[in-house]
Amino acid sequence: MLKVEKLEVVYHRVSTAVQGVSLEVNEGSIVAIIGTNGAGKTTTLRAISGFLGLDDARVTEGAILYRGEHIENRPPHRIARLGIALVPERSKVFENLCVDDNLLASVTRRGGAFDRAQVYEFFPALAPLRRRDAGYLSGGERQMLAIGSALACAPHLLLVDELSQGLSPIMVDELMHRLREVRRQTGITVLLVEQNAQVALEVADYGYVMENGRIVLDGTPERLRAHPDVQEFYLGGRGERRSYRDVKQYRRSRRWYG
Amino acid sequence: MSGYFRTRYAEDSALLDTRPQKIALALFSIVLLVYPFLASVLWLDIANQILLSAVGAVALMLLTGYAGQISLGHAGLLAAGAFTTGILFKEASAPMWITLPASAGVGALLGLVFGLPSLRLRGLYLAVSTLALHFIVIFAGSEYETKRGYSTGIVIDSPIQDGRAWYFVLLAAAALTVLFALNLLRARTGRAWRAIHAREAVAEALGISVPRAKLAAFVVSSTLTALAGSLFAYYRGFVSAEAFSLYLTIQYVAMIIIGGMGSIAGALAGSAFVVLFPYAIDGGMGALGLSDRLSSLVFAVNYSAFGVVMIGFLVFEPEGLIGLWRRVRDWLVLWPFKQRPL
Amino acid sequence: MQIAVNILVLASIYALICCGYVLIYKVSRVLSLAHGELMMLGAYGLYATASLFAGHPLVALAAAVALAATVGAAVYLALMWRMTGESVLAAVLATIALGILLRGAMILAFGTETRHPLGQLGWTNASVALGTARISAVGLALVLSTAAVYGGLALFLRSSRWGIRMRAAGQNPLLAAQRGIGLHGIYALAWALATFTAGIAGMLLACDAGLESTLVIIGLKAFPAALVGGLDSLVGAVLGSLVVATAEVLLIHYVDPLLSDVVPFAVLLAMLVVRPWGFFGSREELDRV
Repeated sequence: MLKVEKLEVVYHRVSTAVQGVSLEVNEGSIVAIIGTNGAGKTTTLRAISGFLGLDDARVTEGAILYRGEHIENRPPHRIARLGIALVPERSKVFENLCVDDNLLASVTRRGGAFDRAQVYEFFPALAPLRRRDAGYLSGGERQMLAIGSALACAPHLLLVDELSQGLSPIMVDELMHRLREVRRQTGITVLLVEQNAQVALEVADYGYVMENGRIVLDGTPERLRAHPDVQEFYLGGRGERRSYRDVKQYRRSRRWYG
Repeated sequence: MSGYFRTRYAEDSALLDTRPQKIALALFSIVLLVYPFLASVLWLDIANQILLSAVGAVALMLLTGYAGQISLGHAGLLAAGAFTTGILFKEASAPMWITLPASAGVGALLGLVFGLPSLRLRGLYLAVSTLALHFIVIFAGSEYETKRGYSTGIVIDSPIQDGRAWYFVLLAAAALTVLFALNLLRARTGRAWRAIHAREAVAEALGISVPRAKLAAFVVSSTLTALAGSLFAYYRGFVSAEAFSLYLTIQYVAMIIIGGMGSIAGALAGSAFVVLFPYAIDGGMGALGLSDRLSSLVFAVNYSAFGVVMIGFLVFEPEGLIGLWRRVRDWLVLWPFKQRPL
Repeated sequence: MQIAVNILVLASIYALICCGYVLIYKVSRVLSLAHGELMMLGAYGLYATASLFAGHPLVALAAAVALAATVGAAVYLALMWRMTGESVLAAVLATIALGILLRGAMILAFGTETRHPLGQLGWTNASVALGTARISAVGLALVLSTAAVYGGLALFLRSSRWGIRMRAAGQNPLLAAQRGIGLHGIYALAWALATFTAGIAGMLLACDAGLESTLVIIGLKAFPAALVGGLDSLVGAVLGSLVVATAEVLLIHYVDPLLSDVVPFAVLLAMLVVRPWGFFGSREELDRV
């Protein structure tokens, strides 16, 4: 359904953040992109959701195809109306609007249908908070509301940026579970961007690993989990080579010899 | 590899650092000195107006273009200088050597008053507070006019009558202002202003006293402005509250926008542009044969054309005439290439 | 009693005008200083439609109001959209330049003499007794239409989908775009609404006192009321208008009529010193710039 081909994104016309990234997201699947800070995950996500122009960045090469249609460098609200909704990393709710109004503010995709009751079904915790201003919600509730109001766009494809950030492990498990539930009931495709590989690989059907603006590994969660590099750097490893210096050396040696 | 290298700090802070620049300045000075002996009365008056507004524009440029404090009270400050001069002249028949420093003093004081809100307010809110002060100064001026029975304005006898003499006085004033501004900008104060403009919090972290630098910007700017106002009063021989409308403020702001933010040369170019503009419109209308039909509405044509030009600059050339000039120069220097080699 | 009525009328004039300032600022964070000129344009619109649809005053009124809203949207689509994302100063200056342009253009198109749209509509400005005080019919219309405009706006912003989206776009434009809200459409709508209310204010004022260039000054005087109340709050705008109007009417009555032009700005300065974000404004705005 979504196909990214040899994507290259350049900031301020000089610095390349993403280079030759290709990935594919199949209808109805949950796909995860994992990587550390600065790996280019968020930039890739922004390129898909059309948010590059604001940061003086551009897709200079490659293509983003959504159901066979080119969507690179389109304005964000157009992309949202095509059925791609983003749950951003920061400032994800309208803080001075109440929960209900947050859901109402989303523009439903043309031809799509959405009912607020659905969100309260997925996230029962939100139901008693309907009239509360979103600024007074806790981190977990905000994340639920953010996912809920992205769902209010009636998307085909949900992009989630750093779902786990700043949330307790229990809340993260709960949200991931909900996300799977959403997928099961509505058939929405999900593209997750995560630093927390453990969690991401648990829910995903397919995963990509990004480093330095490139995709270095991809495969099913089982395969990725079995890979020594992923074990070493993303899943906690066996407890050796944990300091940053070692990581750097390890990477360098891999780049040079491997 | 082309270019030149600075090897001493003195070279780094020199106002002119290449021979062509010195030659250009010398030629420009000669032109300025010869000009009054060649120009007609009308052109001499235009040149005087340009020089007069250059003082005010440079003052505003220091405040807005360098220190980054938006002010919409410029006409109020000019009025303060002009009214101080007028009142001192009427009440105490004070000569010029008293009124000019007195106006400067009033300007400095008002600068402090105008500047105080800037310690708490930023951007839009600051602009609004200066706008409010503008109305209050104008109100005080017109109050004086009506209470003392000068309802049409205060008439001042100027010690200088001859246009050519005025030209040299104003040229000296403008040149001194520019020199003063340039010197200030390459010193500690100027660097502090630029740091505040870029980011206040960082400037503060670098050890710059933000309140002091801001107040200094307001005081320097309004002292110069009030001096310009005083000179304006003498030059026109007449002070009235109507002359200092909001439109005057807009004209001054337009000067620094059209000239190019953050450049003293821009302020000069902008003031020349804005002063010449109505004459150009007049000339254009004459050439088109419209002046007879629209003679009573010339000011309206001026207004709308000025609005159009301002919008044009804001939208298409936010860096102003200086930006335009830089681009043309780069294009000429680099031709046939489009960018500097990396 | 008469003083209370005067305060009420002046407050509703200010309130009607400054809801335009508030709307535009709330939604797009731009301060429009062309508001007075847009009011005047609205009034000239009424004058033009009144002579076009002579004999059908209601048709003329409806046409003029629709025209004002269209002009507002046109202003955004022709000029202000280029200023989104520019600095505060650039956006404010663009509106100032627009104001100058409109002022010149209106003089060129309509001349400088005072016009009376009310006479053109074929109505007269009778005065109505209110207890011991009197209020002109147009003054009464002003108070009523201010109430109607505020009621309508509050309803629109609270409960209609587009109103909620407008508030959302004002709070967080980036997120709004992510939710599929077209920002240019929202901003154009805000400009249309603001100019629509400005147009109504301009028309009523022109009906009351004649149509001339002092309208622009009234437009500018209303602006302190918006700021005193808090630039992004409609409730604040009402309160600010009341405060400013009370101060102005009382000072004019008891001290000096000449103070009229300066009182709003003095109140504004006092407010800026004490509480820069106004009665109901959101506080973090000061750090936004």
